[in-house]
Amino acid sequence: MTALDSRPAVAAPRRRRRQWAPYALIAPTVAVLAAFLLYPIGSVLYYSLQRYNVTQPWKNGFAGLDNFRRMLSDDPLFWQSLLFSTKWVVAQVGLQLLLGLALALIINETFVGRGLARSLVFSPWAVSGVLTTGIWILLYNPSTGIFQELANLGVGDHGTSVLGDPATVFPATVVAELWRGVPFFAILLLADLQTIPKDLYEAASVDGAGRWRRFLSVTLPHLRDAIVLSTLLRAVWEFNNVDLIYTLTGGGPANQTTTLPLYVARKAVDSHDFGYGSALTVAGFVILLFSSILYLRLSKFGSRA
Amino acid sequence: MRIRGALAVALSLGLVLTGCSDAGGGGGNATITFWDNNGGPGRTPIYEELIKRFEAANPTIKVEYVGVPSASVQQKYDTAIAGGSTPDVGGVTTSYLANMIGQDALEPLDERVDSGPLKGKLLPNLVETVRQTAPDNKLYSLPSSGNLDVIWYRKDWFEQAGLTPPTTWDELVDRATKLTDVGRNRYGYTIRGGAGSVFQLLTEAYAYSGVEKFFDGTTSTVKDPANAELIGKVAALYKKATPEADVNNNYTQMVAQFTGGSVAMMHHNLGSYSDVTKALGTDEVGAITLPVGPSGRKTVVPNPTDGFAVFKNSKNPDAAWKFAEFLVSRESNSYWNEKVGQIPANTDVRSEAWIEKNQPVKMALGVLEDKATRIVPAPVYLPEYSSITKTDSEPAYQKVLLGQLSPQEFLTGLADKLTTAQQEWEERK
Repeated sequence: MTALDSRPAVAAPRRRRRQWAPYALIAPTVAVLAAFLLYPIGSVLYYSLQRYNVTQPWKNGFAGLDNFRRMLSDDPLFWQSLLFSTKWVVAQVGLQLLLGLALALIINETFVGRGLARSLVFSPWAVSGVLTTGIWILLYNPSTGIFQELANLGVGDHGTSVLGDPATVFPATVVAELWRGVPFFAILLLADLQTIPKDLYEAASVDGAGRWRRFLSVTLPHLRDAIVLSTLLRAVWEFNNVDLIYTLTGGGPANQTTTLPLYVARKAVDSHDFGYGSALTVAGFVILLFSSILYLRLSKFGSRA
Repeated sequence: MRIRGALAVALSLGLVLTGCSDAGGGGGNATITFWDNNGGPGRTPIYEELIKRFEAANPTIKVEYVGVPSASVQQKYDTAIAGGSTPDVGGVTTSYLANMIGQDALEPLDERVDSGPLKGKLLPNLVETVRQTAPDNKLYSLPSSGNLDVIWYRKDWFEQAGLTPPTTWDELVDRATKLTDVGRNRYGYTIRGGAGSVFQLLTEAYAYSGVEKFFDGTTSTVKDPANAELIGKVAALYKKATPEADVNNNYTQMVAQFTGGSVAMMHHNLGSYSDVTKALGTDEVGAITLPVGPSGRKTVVPNPTDGFAVFKNSKNPDAAWKFAEFLVSRESNSYWNEKVGQIPANTDVRSEAWIEKNQPVKMALGVLEDKATRIVPAPVYLPEYSSITKTDSEPAYQKVLLGQLSPQEFLTGLADKLTTAQQEWEERK
């Protein structure tokens, strides 16, 4: 055989190999994604259209849109928990952003003990969720916690239970979650603050801009993408927050702190009504998906002028 | 070559993994898994001792103990049933037994009991509460311990204040108010307002009203005005004679308040015996039965009965049964109930000396033996029972405590759901 003849014969198998090789390489990833992402999502969608309650197997079967009908027209707790979730997300993300930004600006300055201040600011983030709630449960404990100490000093009444009083349970829970959430913003924003070129500030100073003006015209525009992304991430996390509220209040008293995911847990896990629980989950998923898309559109994320 | 090697490893791994559950199957040595439905520092060591004794007597059977916290045990069982990974034998109470029977997870034990040494040795009262949870009236759990609601009280506080323990609910309200001193962080009573509240509340309501049946036909008697009256009395104590935190109280928090020394009276059941006496000593703490109402009738909504179930999925059902039978034998049942302070299901145990010395257990036995006592079983057999009394009603009861819902409205809502569920149950029967 001549060299000329043999060339196509060699090239053909090589091309074929190139065709399947990439797929083979991504196959494990695809398989893992399918197993751990697509399958669970698909099964939730499937069960949301089913009557599926393990304690009443004789009633199980296709339900069509019944679960959704019940949710929208016959379940005041769905609307109540959704409203509370919204309130929770707005309060958490808003306050965490403000306080996180303030902290980031402070620890971005040069001062004695800055290293220590930075580690202190970040430390709550390193504490696990269950430990955080453990700390706050003890702090709020009416007979051993901070309010007992205050009452001993003559401030407030003995036996004050901030988690038991409908008037104080919301702010008390918000404060506990803020303690854990603020460092997240502080870390992200500090990282971004440090990428702002110093000469921009120098130029602004030369132009006669004061501190506030420099913050508005240099710092904030520079932080925009970081703020948009971190608030979006945080909003999704806070919407899905279960650990802190569940351990701190269990959604009570009287459903006052029941978020949508907590309600899902109660319906699916406690009442074994997995069909309805799945429908509630689908509703939460759709709401999150569309608000995220809307938020990114409105904030023109990534399209800096 | 390398791929083939990896495949071989994966295959053998798979074999090992699936092989694990087969270990000891069929004849010869057997390993059985046992789930304790209330694992924790109080009960785990007692089971460990009993397992040691069992393995010494049955060298061919090895028992693997798994302690599951009581708060999550029902969910763990449901998951295990759905996934086919149930234990061979497990502790169950009648409060979730019906669920498990509904999922076809358990073996009926009637024949095994009748052909063994436990025949005729089980407290009929307890056997009956277990049978009632099954639509076919079979015995799906071998009863081991009975329980009764009691009010634990601080003998020392009552003595210091010159008060006698209450016998009626009005007396309880009076004592609770008198023993409250908020400045010293002392409260007369504690309400279970969080997880598990509604069952306790029902036992209180029926103790007061003296209503003798849970259903009138298929209509729930829960909304009886006398029941509502009692709930009104208890809710009126909230924050006046109880800690404000009570609205969120689950079992742990409630007991912590009592054992921590800030509460004079706590309604729970014999189940908290070891927690309570360990913390405060048997001299400082006494138990009384739930007070009565104006009718003077003694009505008891029986507490869930503890027992052992053998799972259909078990590869060693005979070994599993042998272990369950061992746990309810005279010696083990006596050892167990003396340690945890509950009513022994094995009637032979009643002649043991410790029962005379244990005031709460003796008192509970007295109530159950008294011919005048009316037993009003709660419909724990309804598949919706836990969802109705927990998921729906616990937040509603918190509303009652916070003054956002009237006791009568609360009970009417609860009764309507129970009535619907009972009607469906009757239709399915």
